[in-house]
Amino acid sequence: MTKINFMLLLVVSWCGSCTTTNISKYYYDNKPTLDKIDKSYKLEYGSRPFSLEFIDKSFKNISIEIFTDSLKYIYVFKEDESRLKDTLLKYHITYKAISELLSNMRTVHCNWINNLDYYVDKKKNSLVFMSIRPLGLHFPFKRKKYYILTYFAQPQYYDREGRLLDKRRLRKIRKINEDVFKRINDKVAYTLSDRYR
Amino acid sequence: MQVYALPDISVDTTPTSTREEALAILAKIQTLKPSKKWPNVDPGLFLQNIKSNIVSPLSLYEGSNTNFCGYAALSYLPLHDDPVRYLKFMLQLYEQGNGKYGDAFLNPVNEIHQAAGTLKFKGTLDIRHADQMWFLTLADHFKGYVNFFNKNYQPGDENTFWASVNYAKFNRMVRKLFKYEVSTKGSDLLHPGIKDLYVYIQSQLTSPGTTVLYLNNAYLYKKKHNTLRPGIPTHYVILLGMFKINNTITITYWDYGFRSLREVSPAFLKKIVFGVTHCTKNTSHD
Repeated sequence: MTKINFMLLLVVSWCGSCTTTNISKYYYDNKPTLDKIDKSYKLEYGSRPFSLEFIDKSFKNISIEIFTDSLKYIYVFKEDESRLKDTLLKYHITYKAISELLSNMRTVHCNWINNLDYYVDKKKNSLVFMSIRPLGLHFPFKRKKYYILTYFAQPQYYDREGRLLDKRRLRKIRKINEDVFKRINDKVAYTLSDRYR
Repeated sequence: MQVYALPDISVDTTPTSTREEALAILAKIQTLKPSKKWPNVDPGLFLQNIKSNIVSPLSLYEGSNTNFCGYAALSYLPLHDDPVRYLKFMLQLYEQGNGKYGDAFLNPVNEIHQAAGTLKFKGTLDIRHADQMWFLTLADHFKGYVNFFNKNYQPGDENTFWASVNYAKFNRMVRKLFKYEVSTKGSDLLHPGIKDLYVYIQSQLTSPGTTVLYLNNAYLYKKKHNTLRPGIPTHYVILLGMFKINNTITITYWDYGFRSLREVSPAFLKKIVFGVTHCTKNTSHD
């Protein structure tokens, strides 16, 4: 094996293993903000279900989906638009809380936050789903990957390789949006996905 | 059990019935025995799902990240216009493993019988076992050119081309299953050649019947930040309302599980719409 081939092999294997390190590092570097986002989202969601999204790369335009008993309203705003405040007021959502949430999301490059329902033994459970658009080098023609973090309400089961399981006994791997998730801690799991929602 | 024996209907008319009639039939069924044909379908969840579909048809849900939207869209028709036929067919399918619906004899293969009730991590669809049976059976029976390379179900195919529905297949399913008069404008690759799309859709919406839009989902629900997005339609929704103020169009549509309302520009509407299908009940015996 020539020197160049050996170097290439080294780079390829390093890239394969650095994904986990990157996400874990990202999570622990931003843990206080991410935890704050999870907490404040759950609090506001409890009074009015909604999801929040930055629709552009510059984190200036947002889309909010607000759920009422009969309809899901989908709005698109510029963040500084006065219509945002009026709309939130109409649905009894605290503007200050959303404004803080958006600011925290921007700080950690989180471009989508949502509540997902899932079922274990016919019982409904919920998790908070966050998509993060990692900054850094992006090679042309390479599919952009998003970091996805899931915040569960209860500790989860994982296999020896750290993969999220459906149930402890069945040892079936739980997929969310067709992605396999891995452990960061008992309640937080991650994956890399080519789509953010 | 004769309660679900399907009545004969005339060849060219759209059968109709009411929600009350369907609920009266359902009230006579307290419990169901586990089905020998569908080993993984929970009888309690099956009954609960059917009742929920009849009482609130808009609660039907395609499941997260599946390709079942075409089948979910067409379910709007029987659940609103002929719930008795839907109920009787589902009970027959549960009991016998197959059944005739309209002009189609739906006889799913064993892999489908085994798969229904096992779909997981799809949101509410996880516990909607009747919907799993219905979607899988339709996808197994009806084939279009998009299904050419993947015709036989393998676990996980609910998210693949196996379950996809191209425009011609969708319209064919509505005609064959429910005997509606179906008028169509559009295709899988090109936008419909309609001068004023808003006026056209509005005219469809205000005439009797149900209007289905065939849309580009990559624009409707953006999932990536790619500058280039596939310019092909992949999603069906039932249009429920539409109005225009100044240059803003507000559309209300059924997107499975929920009714959604959003504001779009006329240019955006033109960009996302690839097909407009209008389904009306056939009442003549021509």
